[in-house]
Amino acid sequence: MSDDPYNALVRDHFANTAHAGDLPGGVTADIDEQGIRLRLSATEDEGRIQSLRFRAWGCPHVIAACERFCCQYEGEPGASLSEFRAADIMRDLSVPVEKTGRILVLEDAVRSLGQSFGGGSVP
Amino acid sequence: MAKDFIYLDYAASTPVDPRVAEHMHECRESGYANPSSNHIAGRVSRANIERAAEQLAALLNVDPKTLVWTSGATESDNLGIAGAARFRSHRGKHLVTLLTEHKAVTDVFHMLEKQGFEVTWLKPDEDGRLDPATFASELRDDTQLASVMYVNNETGVTQDIETIGSICRERDVLFHVDAAQAVGKIPIDLQALPVDLLSLTAHKFYGPKGIGALYVADRPGCRVEPILFGGGQQQRIRPGTLPADLIAGLGLAAEIAQSGIETDLGHLGNLRRRLWAGIRDIEGVLVNGDIESGFPGILNVSVSDVEGESLLLELEPICVATGSACNSKSREPSYVLRALGRSDLLAQSAIRFSMGRPTTEDEVEFAARRYREAVTRLRDLAPAVAL
Repeated sequence: MSDDPYNALVRDHFANTAHAGDLPGGVTADIDEQGIRLRLSATEDEGRIQSLRFRAWGCPHVIAACERFCCQYEGEPGASLSEFRAADIMRDLSVPVEKTGRILVLEDAVRSLGQSFGGGSVP
Repeated sequence: MAKDFIYLDYAASTPVDPRVAEHMHECRESGYANPSSNHIAGRVSRANIERAAEQLAALLNVDPKTLVWTSGATESDNLGIAGAARFRSHRGKHLVTLLTEHKAVTDVFHMLEKQGFEVTWLKPDEDGRLDPATFASELRDDTQLASVMYVNNETGVTQDIETIGSICRERDVLFHVDAAQAVGKIPIDLQALPVDLLSLTAHKFYGPKGIGALYVADRPGCRVEPILFGGGQQQRIRPGTLPADLIAGLGLAAEIAQSGIETDLGHLGNLRRRLWAGIRDIEGVLVNGDIESGFPGILNVSVSDVEGESLLLELEPICVATGSACNSKSREPSYVLRALGRSDLLAQSAIRFSMGRPTTEDEVEFAARRYREAVTRLRDLAPAVAL
């Protein structure tokens, strides 16, 4: 449908949230801003991101963005988290510009996760 | 094309009854002439319109001459409210309405405020009902018009039109009723109800889109000034060539509704009970409105700890509304539910299920299961932190 507010990627990630959940013992980043709540969890193995999980309270674009982030960064070097860009995920998911703030919240959470990598939980 | 969705949005619009569609087709074939023309073809068109006026008049128990054809309820509301307010403006400029009216009403009052009228905006109670005593206390000597909707489009809440109308008659205040969600759905007898102006539209009761009517009571002091200009049709109250086929469709839809209104109400009541029974024990779910006395075709529910937009997507392929259809592209919480005292989060999670004549028990039971599963999944996805 031409005026579908969600592209195929959003629909797929929203419907198939394989990375939903927690990683006990991993590092976490919690954030509650812009009317959404996120928790990202990660475990590492020799500097690489072994597993990623998320929990999210938000719109479909936010949930899909979390799932996409987890899909893309599992197995990558921990340092790569600092390279995460909200703009890239907004482009891939065709996120409407009025939701930019929400995806920037995810960017903040990812940066926090990156800073805590190898160092424990972020308050 | 096979239907790949379950439609539970009958408050937004209804499908055209196949009998209505066939009748309109026949009218297009035989009555395509301009009904204002005096030749024989024009008289055929005119006869179709006159027949439709009789059918709608029978549904409302009024004289056909009191009906003005419009393009729909929005135009009827505009004509009824702005037209009556301007007609009576030499007597006073105070108007009264409810915060929970449809935008087709509230936006007219906002426009009139800019033109020098003073509007009192009444807040309903938490069930959405307007207390007639509160209403009476807000009327003034210079109040000329009040407008209260019959059945609320978001919640299904039904107002006490008889009592409010009686108060208006006692105080010589014109009373307009937006009955877009009521006509053809609940019995309305305008000989018994003290209503001066009443707006309706065909597509809410299985008629075509693009046609509606405004009832203007034949009593002293009850008139409307036109808001459109360009011809002498309909006593210059609403000029423009009349769409005879659409009007004929409205007329037959009214006749069909009249013959089955009690059956429809029983059917809808059964569906709403089943739907509510399927979701009422979900933790944090609550009804917006009054499930005991409201129109049975609508069930509006909010639920805690669930984000509304995700809930709507998770409910697919069920077609429901998060607010009025006119608001559906806005992610702002419903102003109607905010007026009922709902928090932004609860208002934003609101889902309006609206059932219709074709809705089946299987469909509402599927909807209940789907709603339950959606709430569970979205809560499981969320961080375990209190909002």
